[in-house]
Amino acid sequence: MSSQSATPASPSALRLSSAHHSFADRLGDPALRALAWLASGVAIVILGALAYKVFALAGESFSRYGLGFITSENWNPSQGTNGYGFGAADFLFGTAVTSFFALLIAAPVSIAIALFLTELAPRRIRRPVATLVELLAAIPSVVLGLWGLIVLAPMMRGTIEPALQSVFGWLPLFSGTETGLGMITAIVILTIMTVPIVSAVTREVFATVPTELKEGALAMGATRWEMVRMVMLPYARSGMVGAVILGLGRALGEAIAVTMVIGHTVNGLHPSLFATGDTLASRIASEYQGAATSLQISSLAYLAAILLVLALIANVVARLIVRRTTVRLPVGLGAPN
Amino acid sequence: MSMRKIGALASAAALALGAAACGSSKSSTSGGSTGSSKTLVGAGSTLVAPLVSVWQPEYLKESGVSVAYSAIGSGGGIAQITARTVDFGASDAPLTEDQFKEATKEGVGVVQIPWALGSVVAVYHVEGVPTHLKLTGPVLSEIYLGKITTWNDPKIAALNPGTTLPSTKITPVYRSDGSGDTYAFTDYLSKISPEWKSNVGNATQVKFPAGVGAKGSSGISAAVTSTNGSIGYLTLAYVLQGKLDDALVQNAAGKYPVPGPASIEAASKTLKEVPSNNMISIVNPPATAPDAYPISTFTYALVPEKAPKASTLKAFLKWAITTGQKYGPKLDFVPIPAAVRAADEATIEKVEEG
Repeated sequence: MSSQSATPASPSALRLSSAHHSFADRLGDPALRALAWLASGVAIVILGALAYKVFALAGESFSRYGLGFITSENWNPSQGTNGYGFGAADFLFGTAVTSFFALLIAAPVSIAIALFLTELAPRRIRRPVATLVELLAAIPSVVLGLWGLIVLAPMMRGTIEPALQSVFGWLPLFSGTETGLGMITAIVILTIMTVPIVSAVTREVFATVPTELKEGALAMGATRWEMVRMVMLPYARSGMVGAVILGLGRALGEAIAVTMVIGHTVNGLHPSLFATGDTLASRIASEYQGAATSLQISSLAYLAAILLVLALIANVVARLIVRRTTVRLPVGLGAPN
Repeated sequence: MSMRKIGALASAAALALGAAACGSSKSSTSGGSTGSSKTLVGAGSTLVAPLVSVWQPEYLKESGVSVAYSAIGSGGGIAQITARTVDFGASDAPLTEDQFKEATKEGVGVVQIPWALGSVVAVYHVEGVPTHLKLTGPVLSEIYLGKITTWNDPKIAALNPGTTLPSTKITPVYRSDGSGDTYAFTDYLSKISPEWKSNVGNATQVKFPAGVGAKGSSGISAAVTSTNGSIGYLTLAYVLQGKLDDALVQNAAGKYPVPGPASIEAASKTLKEVPSNNMISIVNPPATAPDAYPISTFTYALVPEKAPKASTLKAFLKWAITTGQKYGPKLDFVPIPAAVRAADEATIEKVEEG
């Protein structure tokens, strides 16, 4: 009968008489539904409770500083000194700069890796190389931070930063004195952390490009690069954006690895990548446990609230971009969703 | 039975077992509960952590009580005991007025008990410069204020006439997390430099005007070891473990005592009497103690005035300030002076069950 191949219109079409089901099977259906509702409910409740608690804790700092906190460059936790007070501007700047540059480097690198693994690599080495890239994501962030502190920072200070300064020193980006620890080391660490995620998702997206489209382009005489440029990249555009936003989420929230290499200073906003600084997540991670006054704890919670809002904005923007750039194809070739 | 039924039964059994296990282990892991009094949970200072880790097996052997300790930093210790999530906190910084107030819950406050005596040492790593470089308090404060920026600065050269100093840039390294080492170091700098006192202050977390932050004592150790030209501050125990170069700081009498049990004990002898809240500061001891090391510090145990495990807690603290002190010298802690021990015993007596 045709009902064998077509999907049923409603679950009731599947309901056979009770004589065909054991007790366990009949119980399973409502139990599954209940479990699914419970799981989703718990997730929403946890999110709501977490956001509520963070905002409630930030209340003291918010009532003291208001929204001016976001633009204040001061952060001095020592009560009784001239400069005692808190503000988020330095950390917003640090988060923005480190995440932006990390993604700037990670996105093309990841797309190149994904292209290599789906199109260009010999079939035999695809699996091993893919596994190795994904293994990068398995490195615990604290181990990466330790490596950054002990290996990368001296390398940056001794070799890479002087080289960058001698070639690009005229750019304000690479001016200033190098200390090894600082924004640029944090950017390298964050890049290493986001590349596996972005490349894994991009690889999946590239794999969904219909072969008919690719073969069609090649059959019409396109070179491999032209096929990639005109068929694969436009098709995968929304997926790539989604992958980059996933990477952004990782970069925004990374605390431990960043706090070990970024130098933990409140330096003001300046353009040099060699300078030390701090990010929102890193400052919360390093100061929360030792916060001495309730105002400091509240200000750290205020930073956490800002971070939550940033993550939310990033996600919303990602969804909007994905919806806008989704390629609409005729039904027969299968549209991505 | 079908595979599905076996699977369902197995997962139900596992869930039940897990729930039971969670329920029964809860009392022995949560700090402030009235569960088993065979365990004590503490957290705080990294300065005293090497000593506590020697105490743990010894006290277990003697009394059967196991002490769990997390070295999360003095600030963390203060925060945890304020929240009563641990039985005792440990802090190198005595509590401020505000911290005492915040730690008072329902009229029950905390008391601080100085239980070990250690020191903070300035460590550095400059290629070509041997260990035991001489520095003074004012020079140290200017380095950390960012005013002295190279190792061959005339002020440093004047103190070390026999040593050739390179023009390497000085990178001051400090603790990015809340730390009693920072408290002791800034306590000393605040007493030496009025500019430091008004602009930076004396606390477990301050805004350092120059340099980079590293997380934990191990972070400072790693940062100093891997950065040429850097200077940092660590407790003596970590210095010996890390084989770092340490600087000799001039004391008020003009001498350069080597940080160690002798010079720390000389500093502790300048203590005349213990104030009622047990807050003691022996940094920058007066010139009447010619061999005193200038950056020595007491470290405190913080306990609530009423604790559910009071008898176990009191027994442990009494052991720590008497028998426990003998394990100190090997780790370069100095036994607390008799005057302090007497004050401690009086304070410990006041802790009640509740």
